[in-house]
Amino acid sequence: MTLPPGAETTLKSVALKGGAVVCGVADAAAFDAHAPAGHRPADLLPGARAVVVVGGAAPREGDWAATSPWVLSTMGTTERIQSVGRRLAQWIESEWGYYALFVPPGTSSGDQPFVSLMLAAELAGVGSRSLAGPVLNREHGFMYWSAVITTAPLAADGPEAEPACPAPPCREMWEREGTTPCLRVCPLSDGGCLDGRIANGRAERTGYDAARCKTRVHTHWVPGFQKVLETTLDEPDRDKRKMLLYGDFMTRTLWAITYSSTNIAQCFECMRVCPAAHGLKEMR
Amino acid sequence: MGVFALDPEVYRRYKDEVLALSNSFQKIHQPGLSDKQIAERLGLDERTVTEIRCVAERDCYPLDEWQRAIEFKRKAALEWAALALKRPDLKPE
Repeated sequence: MTLPPGAETTLKSVALKGGAVVCGVADAAAFDAHAPAGHRPADLLPGARAVVVVGGAAPREGDWAATSPWVLSTMGTTERIQSVGRRLAQWIESEWGYYALFVPPGTSSGDQPFVSLMLAAELAGVGSRSLAGPVLNREHGFMYWSAVITTAPLAADGPEAEPACPAPPCREMWEREGTTPCLRVCPLSDGGCLDGRIANGRAERTGYDAARCKTRVHTHWVPGFQKVLETTLDEPDRDKRKMLLYGDFMTRTLWAITYSSTNIAQCFECMRVCPAAHGLKEMR
Repeated sequence: MGVFALDPEVYRRYKDEVLALSNSFQKIHQPGLSDKQIAERLGLDERTVTEIRCVAERDCYPLDEWQRAIEFKRKAALEWAALALKRPDLKPE
């Protein structure tokens, strides 16, 4: 069975009708130059030819403007776009008869993903890496990603020629103040995670504390749970153990990791201030 | 047979090298290596490298840094709300 004419257009239409804001196709082989062995599409699905990437489910302006950081962490989940990815995989198999593997959003080992969704989005031409790290779409900014690996011989879109970052206001701020909104909110030199610069109009990352970023992104998630559990197990005093176990940190973490109040990646501060991610749109 | 538990001595000896070579933390100009590639480079077996990496991923900062993360995010969210909503009274002290 071969693909019908205009297959890529049809597939993107199905994705957009299903709830995606953007959809692109990456060449499965293009991952080889960027991802280590074991984290490439064909490692997961032998014979993979293409990776279909969908993006969407961005936070609303009310979420960005919330006074509590826990609003974005609870509302900004990947689940809505994952359901689009799952439906797309089902559609490819039932309509075209090619294998279609929904890339699991979890980890394959430790904290490592099966396949990098950020890399997939870049290679599919629906986003580009920002100075802060997350992949941003030129038109829609910050969004969540989902991907489907398939043996279908879809034509790839290829990476974007022009990145979303740096946005014009960030270039101006760099000229004026020697910093950008993301670098200012989370500076590596002052207990934060990011360092970088804008040179010749291009954002260039020069430093990144990934370990600290993880404490902020996964505060009340699996890493936070392991840290407080370790501290509790090391505590010889029974009463102090109780304070740790029943305290706010452990309680909130357990609500999160048991999906009682869905809460996965939690630090949005570099994205909250980023004009390319969502800007500052005034509402009434 | 129980769960594979890493020898703490082996962990202490190799954790910095494994973490530096791995793909766990975003690199700036190049991708990291897979556990298999790291194992070949350091003369270890792949499963040992996987365990070293997984433990090291969690072992970089103490619990205090998690508390600092909470304080950072609370302050940053309020600062943005004050700016976006034009409510300077929301600014944290």
